[in-house]
Formats: sequence, C-alpha cells, structure tokens
Amino acid sequence: MTGSNKLTKRDYTKTTLRAYFLQNGFNYSNYQGLGYALVLFPALQKLYGNDPDRLAQELKDNCEFYNTNPNMLPFITSIHLAMADSGMKYDETRGIKMALMGPLAGIGDSLSQFCLAPLFSTIFASMAMDGISIAPILFLVVMNLVLLTIKLVMGGYGRKLGTSMIDKLSTKMGAISDAAGMIGVTVIAGLAATFVKMKVAITFAAGEIEAGASQSVVDIQAMLDKVAPALLPVLYTMLMYYLIKKKNVTTYWLVLITVILGVVLSCLGILG
Amino acid sequence: MEITIVQALLIGLWTAFCYAGMLFGIYTNRCIVLSFGVGVILGDIPTALQCGAIGELAFMGFGVGAGGTVPPNPIGPGIIGTLMAVTMSSVTPESALPISIPFAVAIQFLQTAIYTVRAGAPESAAKALAEKNFGKFRRVANMTVILFAVVGFLLGFLGAFSMDTLSRLVEMIPEWLLNGLTVAGGMLPAIGFAMIMSVMLKKEFIPFALLGYICAAYLGLPIIGIALVGAVFAIKHYNESEKVAAGVAAGEVQEVEHDDWI
Repeated sequence: MTGSNKLTKRDYTKTTLRAYFLQNGFNYSNYQGLGYALVLFPALQKLYGNDPDRLAQELKDNCEFYNTNPNMLPFITSIHLAMADSGMKYDETRGIKMALMGPLAGIGDSLSQFCLAPLFSTIFASMAMDGISIAPILFLVVMNLVLLTIKLVMGGYGRKLGTSMIDKLSTKMGAISDAAGMIGVTVIAGLAATFVKMKVAITFAAGEIEAGASQSVVDIQAMLDKVAPALLPVLYTMLMYYLIKKKNVTTYWLVLITVILGVVLSCLGILG
Repeated sequence: MEITIVQALLIGLWTAFCYAGMLFGIYTNRCIVLSFGVGVILGDIPTALQCGAIGELAFMGFGVGAGGTVPPNPIGPGIIGTLMAVTMSSVTPESALPISIPFAVAIQFLQTAIYTVRAGAPESAAKALAEKNFGKFRRVANMTVILFAVVGFLLGFLGAFSMDTLSRLVEMIPEWLLNGLTVAGGMLPAIGFAMIMSVMLKKEFIPFALLGYICAAYLGLPIIGIALVGAVFAIKHYNESEKVAAGVAAGEVQEVEHDDWI
C-alpha cells in the first residue's frame, strides 16, 4: 500500500504552527479534543477534501478527548499525518496518538512550565524590578522564540522519525527533563531567598543612655542576617511547601493565611 | 489620576489579547506582560514595571497544575492591581498585590465557568459535522478563545472604567491595614515558589535547592548566575547519564563475549 502521499513539507509545517490553536475549543468534556481536530483541519481537508463524508468522519473521530502539552503536539500531529498520508485509517493511527499524549504532556510540562517559564519569568521580572522598561517585551520574545523552536523541532522530528524511535527519544527526554528540573530547582530556591520579603522590625535599646552619645540599638534582623541571610523567607517558603505537599492545603487557604499573618504580624510590630 | 474612555477601551483590548493568548500558549497572560501594557496605556511605566515584577514572582507558581486545572488569574494583580497602583497614591505596588487577590480568585471562577459552559461544544461540533457544515465546525472549535477575548475585554474595560468606585473603596482601607497588606505582599511569593517546588522537587534534587539558596543568600549572585551554576551540574548529570547508558550497553556486549569464550 503506497498511500496517497498528498502532503508536502509545507502542510506539516502549517500543522505544526497550528499547534497554537490546540486550546481554542477547550472545554470540560473533551478538553483539547475540538482543538486537535481544528489543528489538523487543513491537512485533513487536503487528504479527504473531495470526500465530504470521509472528512466529516475523520474530524468527528479526532474530536475525542485529548490533553497534552501544546509545545510537544507537533511531534504527535506529524506522526499522525505521516500515517494518515500513507493511507492508514483513524483506527490505525489512534493507538499512537493516544499513547503519546501522556508522556509528551509530562515532558513538555516539565520543560516549559517548570523550567523555562520560571527561569525566564524571574530573570525578566528582576530586570523589571531594576526599572528596565524593555524587560516585559524581552520576556515575551525570548519565551516564544524558545517555544516556537521546540514546536518546529518536534514537528520536523516527528515527520522524519515516523513511529520507530519513540522509546529512544523518551529515555533521552527523561535525562533532558531531569537536567531541566535541576536548573529549575536551583533557580527557584535562589529566587525564594531573594524575592520573598520578611524582615523583623523589632529593635531594642541596649546599654546605658549617655548624654550626647547615641544609644546602641540591637537590631534582630541584622543579627539574623549575620547567621543566615534570608532565613525567614526560606523558612516560610518551606512551611508553605510542607503545607502543600504533606497537608494538601489549597492555595486559597495559603493566600488567606499569609495575608492575615502578614497583617497581624505587621500590626504587632514584629514584621515590617 | 483620571482614566479616559479611550484608555479604558485600550486596556480592555489589551486584556482581551493577553487573556486569549493564554489559550494560544504565548505567555501573554502573565503579570509582567499584562501590567506593562497598562503602564504604556496610562503613561506610567515605572510603577507598572514594579507591579508586574512583584505580581509575576508571586503568581509564577500559580500557573502550575495538571492540564485543565485553573489557577488564580494574573489579571487580578496584572490589570486591576496595576490600575490601582498607578491611579491611587495610597496604593503601592507591594500592597496592590494582596488587594487585587480577590479579583484573581473571582476570575479563576469565571474561567472555570467558561470551560463548563463549553462542555456542550463537542455535541454542537458533531451536529455541524453531520450536516457537513465545516464552517460551523470551525466556529464551534474556536468559540472558547472567542469567549476568552470577550471576557478579557469586559474585565479590562470595566476595571479601568470603574476605577473611581474602586478608589473610593480603597480609600476606606485604614493605614494599618495597608501597611499589613504590604508586609503580606512580600510574603505571598513564598506560596508560588512552594507550589513549583511541590511539583518539581524530587529527593535527588534537594542539594540543588541548597545550592540555589547559598548562591542567592550568601554569595548574592544574580539570577542568571544562579541558573548557570545550576546548569553546570545539570550538564554534568546529563553527560554522566549518557555514559551510564553507554556503559550498560558495553557491559552487555562484554558479557556476551564472555559467554562465547566458555
């Protein structure tokens, strides 16, 4: 079976770029299902355009539940199109489409959400803190260039590779995602120490009051800083981590607790 | 400071674009981006940058979650909070963050509502396909993003338009509370970082958390420096894991040869 081979490289690239539309129809019954069909629409139209019944059926089949990472999607759609273009029916492509959904969501999320986004967001947020006006634009440009590159590489890879090498790719991606995680954890820990602000406002006078000389003051925060700088922010972040991870406290409660705690401690003059 | 109707409309359009961009995955629905637009439109970029940076760090972790879960929305601090900080002298970028949190949570519920309302969409899509009406199918498949744009516009426009009312409400907040909220604003980022850590931190990554703390607190390295120090160890780990994989393969070969000798 030679198949139709109607699709050109351009069709693959177009489908890759349409990965941006994956969530255009997001809803709570089939998640990205409508989006998946929408992403494939022009390519499927080219394949089955002269047979409206077949096209409608393919689109309908592709509307079933789907949920993956948009940046990894081109890998899946490229393989899917390669198979469809060689004449395979949806039933035959469905297995690989569904098998790739979960693993690629995991790899894609740890790469984009947990590594790239926090990294760039903090780099450019700290630039913005320093008053560099271009920082937000740089954030958008850099983030999107990297994500677009991932999409194009994934799409091209899927088209070339076909279905044979997925296992090898996923072991390699595991190491990449681990490395990404390491950088991410280092950066986030550094950020927690830098950007969470908690300072003890209590100071008390020490020594005798002498006329003409300023009284020496014991500043608790300065003492803390000598032992371990940023100790309170780190301890508070660890407390939040503990509550999320071990006690399953939701963010609503954490936000509420933090706001109340901040106000109370500030009123008592402990933090400032 | 007064907001003109044109400015309110522009803020509405900007919010619509950014909110819809969240579905495209182009990272426009982030505090740093949202508030920058508000700063440009209202002509106060320095305040907007501060608001954006503070909100960005606090909300960074709130975007984390398994696919489909909805976090508190950065439009709260990014649009509403920035509007307050720019127009009201009593609101600082630090206190704008906690004041705008209720909006972030309200928008979160709104978003969940949109996804739920759209749960019937696959039904209408199937109907359109049964009629071979492909144009209608595409409209249905794009409807969530269109709703996002409409809701985003309304949020931005109404937020800017009703700033007078909001400012009267904020003026009623006593000073001790504003001071307290500023302190709370400094503590809120801890939640975001803890949320990211709760997803990322595996046991074998704990030394890296320590590394990051030492680099930031004791050595005072800038963020890019910290990332590079982390990258050194990450690359080392990656190379070693490749070597281990190669070693395992080589070991197998040797064993086979050994069998041959016997």
